[in-house]
Amino acid sequence: MVREVITDALLALAVLTVAASALGVAIMRTPYARLHYVTPAAVVAPVLVALAVFVTEGLNVYTGGAVIALVFVIASAPFLSHATIRAMRVREHGDWRGSGGPESPDRQEKRDRRPETQDAPR
Amino acid sequence: MTAFVVAAIAMLVAMVPAGITIARGALADAVVGFEFLTSVAVMVFALLAEGFQRSSLFEFPVILAVLLFGSGLVFVRALERWL
Repeated sequence: MVREVITDALLALAVLTVAASALGVAIMRTPYARLHYVTPAAVVAPVLVALAVFVTEGLNVYTGGAVIALVFVIASAPFLSHATIRAMRVREHGDWRGSGGPESPDRQEKRDRRPETQDAPR
Repeated sequence: MTAFVVAAIAMLVAMVPAGITIARGALADAVVGFEFLTSVAVMVFALLAEGFQRSSLFEFPVILAVLLFGSGLVFVRALERWL
C-alpha cells in the first residue's frame, strides 16, 4: 500500500514535470528559451520514473532495464543541448563564439579600431 | 490499467504541444521540439514496459535512447552545416 502511494506520487511528479516542460517548449519565443524547458523533461522526470520503477519492483531485471535507458537519457541530454546551442550560434553568427569570443569578427573589428580611439583627442 | 500505463498516456498527451512546435515553428524550434520528444519517448516506452510487466520490452527504450542520442547529434550537425 505504501509502495503504491509512493509510486503514484513519483509518477504524478514526473508527469507534471513533463507537462510543464511541454508548455514551456510550446510557449517560449526563442529556441534558446525553449531549450531550457527540455532539461527538466530530460533530467528530472527520468529520475522520478526510475525511482518509481525501483520502488515498485525493487532490484530486478525491470529496474535494470529502466535505469539503463533513463540514465542514458539523463547523461546524453546536456551534450545534446550543448550541441544544439552551438549549432544555433553557428547559424546565427557564423561562429559559435558569437560576439564574445576571442576570434569572432566583432572582436577583431574592435581590436582593429582600438588604436584609433586611443589617438583620438579627449 | 496500472499507474505506469496512465503516466505513459499522460506523457503522450504532453507531447502534443511539442509536436505543434515542430510542425509550426522555425527550424531551430523544431530541433528543440524533437529533443523534447526523444526524451519523453524513452520514458513512455519504459513506463509501458513496466506497466505491461514485460521484461523483454525494456530493451526497446534502451536501444531507443542510444539511437535517438545519435540521431539528435546528426540532426544538429546537419543544422549547423547544411540547413
